[in-house]
Amino acid sequence: MTGYVIKRMLSIVLTMAVMSILIFWITQVMPGNVAYMILGDFASPEDVATLEKKLGLNDPTYVQYWRWASGMLQGDLGRSLVMDRPIAPVLWDAVSKSAILAGISIGLVALFGIVVGVYAGVRHGSRADHVVSVATYVNIAIPEFLFAIVIIMLFAGYLNWFPATGYSDLSNGVGTWARHLILPVFTLATGLMAHVSRLTRSSMIDTMQTQYVRAARARGLPERLVIRRHALPNALLPTITVLAIDVGIMMGGIVVVETIFSYPGLGRLLMFAIQNMDVPLLQACMIVITFVYAAANLMADLLYALLNPRVRYGRSSSE
Amino acid sequence: MTDLALSVEGLSVSFEGDGGRVRVLHDVSMKVERGRVLGVVGESGSGKSTAALAVLGLLDKGAAIDAGKVLVGGRDLYAATDEERRQLRGGKVSLVFQDPFTTLNPAIRVGKQIAEPLMMHRSMDEAQAEAETLRLLAEVGIADPARMAASYPHQLSGGMKQRALIASALGCDPDLLILDEPTTALDVTIEAQILDLLEDLRRTRQLSILFISHNLGVVSRICDDICVLYAGRVVEQGPTDVVLSQPRHPYTKGLLASLPSLSVERQRLQPIPGRLPDTRAQLKGCIFAPRCHFAQPRCSSEIQELHTAQNGTRNRCWRSAELADTPWRAEVGEEVARRAPPSSDAPIIVDAVDVEREFRSGGVFDALTLRWNGWRPEMAYRPRVVNAVDHVSLTIREGEIVGLVGESGSGKTTLGRCMIDLVSPTGGEVRIEGQTLLSASRSRKRTLLRNAQIIFQNPDSSLNPRKTVREIVGRPLAQIGLGGAERDKRVDELLELVRLGSRYAERYPHQMSGGEKQRVGIARALATKPKFIVCDEAVSALDVSVQASILNLLVDLRDEFGLAYLFITHDLSVVSYIADRICVMKNGKLVEQGRTEDILEAPQHPYTAALLAAVPRVNQHRRAAGA
Repeated sequence: MTGYVIKRMLSIVLTMAVMSILIFWITQVMPGNVAYMILGDFASPEDVATLEKKLGLNDPTYVQYWRWASGMLQGDLGRSLVMDRPIAPVLWDAVSKSAILAGISIGLVALFGIVVGVYAGVRHGSRADHVVSVATYVNIAIPEFLFAIVIIMLFAGYLNWFPATGYSDLSNGVGTWARHLILPVFTLATGLMAHVSRLTRSSMIDTMQTQYVRAARARGLPERLVIRRHALPNALLPTITVLAIDVGIMMGGIVVVETIFSYPGLGRLLMFAIQNMDVPLLQACMIVITFVYAAANLMADLLYALLNPRVRYGRSSSE
Repeated sequence: MTDLALSVEGLSVSFEGDGGRVRVLHDVSMKVERGRVLGVVGESGSGKSTAALAVLGLLDKGAAIDAGKVLVGGRDLYAATDEERRQLRGGKVSLVFQDPFTTLNPAIRVGKQIAEPLMMHRSMDEAQAEAETLRLLAEVGIADPARMAASYPHQLSGGMKQRALIASALGCDPDLLILDEPTTALDVTIEAQILDLLEDLRRTRQLSILFISHNLGVVSRICDDICVLYAGRVVEQGPTDVVLSQPRHPYTKGLLASLPSLSVERQRLQPIPGRLPDTRAQLKGCIFAPRCHFAQPRCSSEIQELHTAQNGTRNRCWRSAELADTPWRAEVGEEVARRAPPSSDAPIIVDAVDVEREFRSGGVFDALTLRWNGWRPEMAYRPRVVNAVDHVSLTIREGEIVGLVGESGSGKTTLGRCMIDLVSPTGGEVRIEGQTLLSASRSRKRTLLRNAQIIFQNPDSSLNPRKTVREIVGRPLAQIGLGGAERDKRVDELLELVRLGSRYAERYPHQMSGGEKQRVGIARALATKPKFIVCDEAVSALDVSVQASILNLLVDLRDEFGLAYLFITHDLSVVSYIADRICVMKNGKLVEQGRTEDILEAPQHPYTAALLAAVPRVNQHRRAAGA
């Protein structure tokens, strides 16, 4: 098991290294000259040259990469060009707000996705199963932005139950805080919930037809024990992997949702960086997103190993 | 208290099918007396597994009991409530399934799974159940019960898993133990061990057993009574010895005559022609009549009832007394003399020299291993390497049938695939007609490989379900540049050759039976007029009666065209029937090879001797009368 964890960690380090090179390279080849952006379009060529020298923009790319990457490793995220201040405090503030949004959403996705999926899977072919199937199909088919607009119109506009946009700090009261979160969380979670429940359902159906479930029944176990003890741990294995992938999808989702709901999180910061060509801010945002995704996958791998003895104890007794 | 552990009375079961209800069991009656073993024998589609599940009350959704009763220890199973039935399962009746590899839950320790029925039905607490589990594991011959109980299924071999499952089934001292093909998924030496264990257990525990199997050898070894099922009906039943030595129903006779025996004398197998009747067909008369040589007009108009023959067995054939001593004979006409094995100066077709094939498994990260050197961790790069074929040399001459036997994991399939370059050897050389294959150019290789083809084990997965037979068989012909009318003509010829006929050309695989599909596989292999064919477990997935006709076909094709086969199988009886020479493989190495007679009569290697000793056989005197 220790060996397995260390191997997984190593692969995460490798992934991060490769991704950082890609992120750096892509942001470097983007159009626009950083010095011109700082000095304005009418700057004199001499001033531009001086600034380029000062910022090290004339150094070879690998030297620039190394300077940037080693800064990152030491916790120095650099300075935002547009806001002209250190990135770190701005970024961490946005990350913490997005973490609340995404964390609650993924929690709901896991909880309801699995519960609904298991419920429908066990009752495969029943009316409840058909209702769940149709509902999840419809849900997957609706894109996030459309869903967001519809519920804003309904709950914020027409019914006026929740605020349409913005964020309220906890210090303004839990109620207000929660009221601001409900619509974005709802938007972010429903699509993925449908996704997870469909997968859990089909994996549950497969597991319920396995020989070992039949054997458990033949031993006279009551159905609820058959499901809980024999079927569930095996049926949840693919769900875990998919949940980690869904964290990645959610990283894309927060960009859309935070933009629509004017929620001051990582997604909006990323949009801001792209629109203003703020290269260091963009790089920092992308590194954080990559890291979250990689970390989610690491967690999934560990959880997978916990449920699956084949991973925990190697492949066979002969070893 | 009755002295019957199980009594099934007039049981009829039907399933919800595509076109209405399909009846799979018709008026089946059988009894298991206390302390006796009843064998239920039948081929696929006979309904024997359905019978087992019905006795447990575990039929799938959509199945219904139309008539009849199941009495377990005198209690009517279907008069009981669901809850009472559940209490019976695992307590009074327990079941051991066919495949130990899928019957144990991979995520739960073996000991916990064995303890489940103990805690459920004998209301033991965890500590008591654990102690009892260890005792049970020792009883089924596990050397280190504590370690076994703490293991996960993937850490155990197939034989060990099956022992664990038997231990689990014995836990609550059941009135009736159902064994559903308990050794079918196991290698022959392991099968022999499990059968020994079962024989011991039934003696020491006075077990009453319902033993379901397609293997007459296994049944004849372990069962007191036998019940032969065909198409959901009991066609013959009685004491095993009597039924197998004096079969009265034509189907039982046919089954015995289809069975290749592990002996030097090779009578031509006498298969049962045709196929199982469609379950939806409404037959007025005897269900077996369409496949029976002895059928007369009366057979197809009169429903056959079970009646008692003079020898005390019961059967469902009105001519049984009259035909009592007439053996089954499938192919009327002259017996074709088997071609003699080729002499040692016949031209060599395939020549494998010192072939080696290793497999690396796992990715880069799997190959990294962590070790602790004192307190210092050390990472090392060690890819997992398995030598599937380990320096094997094998020569096959024109017209020769070489049998390659070995247990699972012995490397026999890999060797077979190396011989026709489906898998490239990592060392050594393969020559086809003296031309080396490995260094040959692409086009040269193609021409060489035209002479070497393969027939796969499972026709269901080796035939493309979306293509017609014509397209499947025509594909290799198109490959060698044959087109249009000429190709169609050749396809028809090939189908004629495998005794299917051109009327099969426009069918799809799902419209054919297993035996017919395998014939298509053979026709495809013959398309390029090869001189050498690898038959990789080519008859293993087929029922005995179908297997016999495919074996006959393969022998005929050899005799007619001088084909050479590498016949890969785990079944020693089959190989002793068909092969001129036998090679025995173990752990990637050829441990013995020699003429079939020599290997059967005087095996040199202890492993070969062990394999031969392990094969369950229908006793010779029983066979003599049957065929």
